[in-house]
Amino acid sequence: MDLSVVAKDITRTDLLHLYYYLQLTRTLENRITALYRQGRIVGGVYTSHGMEAIAVGYAFALQSQDVIAPYHRDMGAFLIRGITPGEVIAQYLGKRTGPTKGKDGNVHIGDLKRGVIGFVSHLADNLPVATGAALAFHIRGEPHVVVTNTGDGGTSRGDFHEAMNFAAVRKLPVVFFCNNNQYAYSTPVRNQMAVANVADRATGYGMPAEIVDGNDVAAVYLAARRAIQKARSGGGPTFLECKTMRMHGHSEHDPAKYVPQALLDEWKKKDPIVKAEAMLKTLGYADEAYFHDIEERVKKEVDAGVEWAEQSPLPDGRETLDGVFATEAEVAS
Amino acid sequence: MTTGLADAMTSHEVTYLEAISQALDEEMSRDERVFLMGEDIGAYGGAFKITEGFLQKYGDHRVLDTPLAESGIVGAAIGAAMMGLRPVVEMQFADFISCAFDQIIEVAAKNHYRWNAPVPMVIRAPFGGGVHGGPFHSECPEGWFFHSPGLKLVAPSTPYDAKGLLKAAIRDPNPVIYFEHKFLYRRIKAVLPTEDYIVPIGKAEVKRTGGTISVITYGAMVHLALEAATVLEKENIQLEVVDLRTLIPLDKETIYESVRKTSKAIMLHEDNKTGGIGAEIAALLAEDCFDSLDGPVLRVAAPDTPVPFSTPMEEFFLPKASDIVAAARMLAAY
Amino acid sequence: MQTEIIMPQLGESIAEGTVIEWLIPVGGRVEKDQSLLEVETDKVALEIPSPSSGFLTDVLIPVGQTVPVGTVLAHLNTDSPDPTVVSRVGGVVVRQMDLSPAEEDHYSPAVKQIAREHGVDLSLLQGSGGGGRITKKDVLDYIAQQDDTRKTVTRSVETEQPVTVTQDEKVLPLTAMRKMIAERMVKSRHTSAHVVTVFEADFSAVAKVRENQPLTYLPFVIHAVARAIRDFPVLNSSWGEAGIIQKRDIHVGIAVALEDGLLVPVVKHADRKRLTQLGHEVTDLAERARTKKLNPEEVQGGTFTITNHGGFGSLLSTPIIHQPQIAILGVGAVQKRTVVINEAIAIRPMAYLSLSFDHRVIDGARADSFMKKVKSYIEQEEWGQIL
Repeated sequence: MDLSVVAKDITRTDLLHLYYYLQLTRTLENRITALYRQGRIVGGVYTSHGMEAIAVGYAFALQSQDVIAPYHRDMGAFLIRGITPGEVIAQYLGKRTGPTKGKDGNVHIGDLKRGVIGFVSHLADNLPVATGAALAFHIRGEPHVVVTNTGDGGTSRGDFHEAMNFAAVRKLPVVFFCNNNQYAYSTPVRNQMAVANVADRATGYGMPAEIVDGNDVAAVYLAARRAIQKARSGGGPTFLECKTMRMHGHSEHDPAKYVPQALLDEWKKKDPIVKAEAMLKTLGYADEAYFHDIEERVKKEVDAGVEWAEQSPLPDGRETLDGVFATEAEVAS
Repeated sequence: MTTGLADAMTSHEVTYLEAISQALDEEMSRDERVFLMGEDIGAYGGAFKITEGFLQKYGDHRVLDTPLAESGIVGAAIGAAMMGLRPVVEMQFADFISCAFDQIIEVAAKNHYRWNAPVPMVIRAPFGGGVHGGPFHSECPEGWFFHSPGLKLVAPSTPYDAKGLLKAAIRDPNPVIYFEHKFLYRRIKAVLPTEDYIVPIGKAEVKRTGGTISVITYGAMVHLALEAATVLEKENIQLEVVDLRTLIPLDKETIYESVRKTSKAIMLHEDNKTGGIGAEIAALLAEDCFDSLDGPVLRVAAPDTPVPFSTPMEEFFLPKASDIVAAARMLAAY
Repeated sequence: MQTEIIMPQLGESIAEGTVIEWLIPVGGRVEKDQSLLEVETDKVALEIPSPSSGFLTDVLIPVGQTVPVGTVLAHLNTDSPDPTVVSRVGGVVVRQMDLSPAEEDHYSPAVKQIAREHGVDLSLLQGSGGGGRITKKDVLDYIAQQDDTRKTVTRSVETEQPVTVTQDEKVLPLTAMRKMIAERMVKSRHTSAHVVTVFEADFSAVAKVRENQPLTYLPFVIHAVARAIRDFPVLNSSWGEAGIIQKRDIHVGIAVALEDGLLVPVVKHADRKRLTQLGHEVTDLAERARTKKLNPEEVQGGTFTITNHGGFGSLLSTPIIHQPQIAILGVGAVQKRTVVINEAIAIRPMAYLSLSFDHRVIDGARADSFMKKVKSYIEQEEWGQIL
């Protein structure tokens, strides 16, 4: 990313916020992984390790009334929308204080009040839903936007096609991100699609697309900001493919031996936090001491979150039976 | 402008189809959050003309002609519903609902349970056979959804129930699949109240009282049961016809009250026999009404095949009044 | 068997006809004389009835086609269908219910429930259901009938002076069991011509066996009675208007005293059981009768009853017959008494056996012959060998 553009288009404060969120995301996910390896977290753990810039970049460009429909590697977006580290840990621990009160696990966090649409394991199911949310804004003439995300694998499913098509036909205020981290579990992208870039598909829907460096938080942020603004002003949907690399396995139990080490080594050098620090230093916005302070700060935040979550109560088994149906009161507006 | 809208104001007889149309029209007038999505529902007025005139009246922000994409449409409806709108999605034929199965089961049904997000939406599904539709235009798919916690399923048999249940479904904060029987569209008529009314979801109705045998049924089969009842009453066999009206949640109270009175029960549905809703109700009777049973619980249903096309085959496939009569005679003699 | 459906001659000068409509689909079932198809000539249109019951296996002449008289239009399969198939509900077979004669104790849940609630002895009922099954309606009708009877009985009682209670008197409320016993006892007295004959039996042989076996006197009496019934089967019967109904199976009821009432659990097939088995059953039934854990089947179906009134010290009794049986044996207390044996005085454990019998069915001579057998079986030496 051309630093003169960054300096012009992003304020120092915003860049520092972006950096902070990168660190918070990284530290939180590292802690979750540690807890998992210690056996204190059970079930699946999916991180965005090495890909934090994408979720942080797009979520930071949204306004409070906008909505996200994330997938399983968007931790940074949860944090920016106001889900606290404590709530995330509580969710992983299956505690009653987590956003789903134990009903669902890991990153299946949802909260309408904070504009987060709960993820469904079936990849790309979130895309038509995102389109629908955008449809609601469109019907009501509201200037809100939906951002949704999925991986390279998710774009193979029918729901990706149906959502992209519907959004384009109706020019809905939704921005489609794609985290192309080059692997869908063990399937490399070349076995996933015949096009060189996922973004090439957007033409098929008559939708504009961009390819973005997914490890450059400034680049992601600016691209997101443009697309979101365009959607907000009635310009319709955009498809943004973020090129990155999945640095850990599909989930934390997956050693991912199928990924060539050389690839990992190459992308390690482009780590988003490393890149962000280099950028901030070059721009003269921050120094090592600052970085160290932020590290300390986020560590404390995560520590406090873990403590809070661990002390939270587990749900009673009988709560299993609750909440199958919504009541009138919940929808009374 | 034709049928559906023009007749909304009068109180002469309306068909089952017109009743559905009236319900949509009245709910859209009453609540601006209600909007329609479906294939060919706008400019064309819908494959069965239920939404004729609606596009002109409500505009293309509330009557959406969608691409051919059931999964995408249902998913979009879920998203819109979570944002506070009240979408009513039309499946052109219930058979196509299978394309949206994933969104219905995994997203719509589970959302509130998982993260407290209500999904107030309705999917209208024209189901049932007897119209030479063959395997993909005659299906009864309610059994697939019966087994998914988080959904409500309704199936009206009369114009009164059709209108009242659709209104109730639209006003319900949960995802409701509304099974309208296409065979009944123009074949049955009734005079409806002019004032607003709903038929509550979760309440069955005894359409005919009788002391000998309870026939538990829904949809077009209700009328077949009534037909069989007139044949049987000459032999002093009095059928009590219980119209479920709602499949989920089942009105166990009404079912049990009937079976405790008659002590003999026949489950009747057009859906395939194995794993149909009749099987669940039979199990409930064995569990909760065992001491009231004076005979085995029978099921009269379609055989376990797809719906065949050829006329004699479809006639063979669909339960007939004579089948109900035969089963009732046998049970009465037990 | 295949039957041909042919184009009929619909009038003298008619040589051909047109098929207008098939009223039964191919594969469909048709009853004899049920309209099978509609045909037409230029003179007349008619529905053609089926010559027999069966299934329309094929249709050779479709609607609209005109054919000469005599043409085969279709085939009917008149084989009697699989007897288990009552109806082809679209190919889903609705199976014939098994209407073979109702087995013993086959009552539906509804019937059992109602019988339990109203204390109905189902063995008293006639079934109107398939195979003689007792239906819910049968039970309800029976209860209604009983209510009517009860009403007439109470009406006759009420013609007496109404009972007023003074300060010296206390009213003990009637339990359901008390009412039932009262009704049954009175009814039995009104039904049978009760006569009592008393015999005395020497229980020495029994006592000898009891030294080494944990058995009460009752199993021995049951065993002896069952053997005697085999000799005189008329004791195991019921009065019927058409004739005395003699029963093959020997089910002996044992009267068990409860705190405020009595129950009569039944030992089924008493004649087939060994002494020790009888002992177990008697103990178990009595225990469960007292703790109210009997099943309805266990108080039904008795053909002869024994009442062990001696348990409370009574020597002789005139027991009331348990309808619809025709006899009941009372067993008095076993007491050591002085008796004369071989012209010498001996001390033996003796008990009086009081048989109440229904004189409508048997006369004194028969009753006494039976009792002689009972006595001889009790007094036999071979008890030890038939444990």
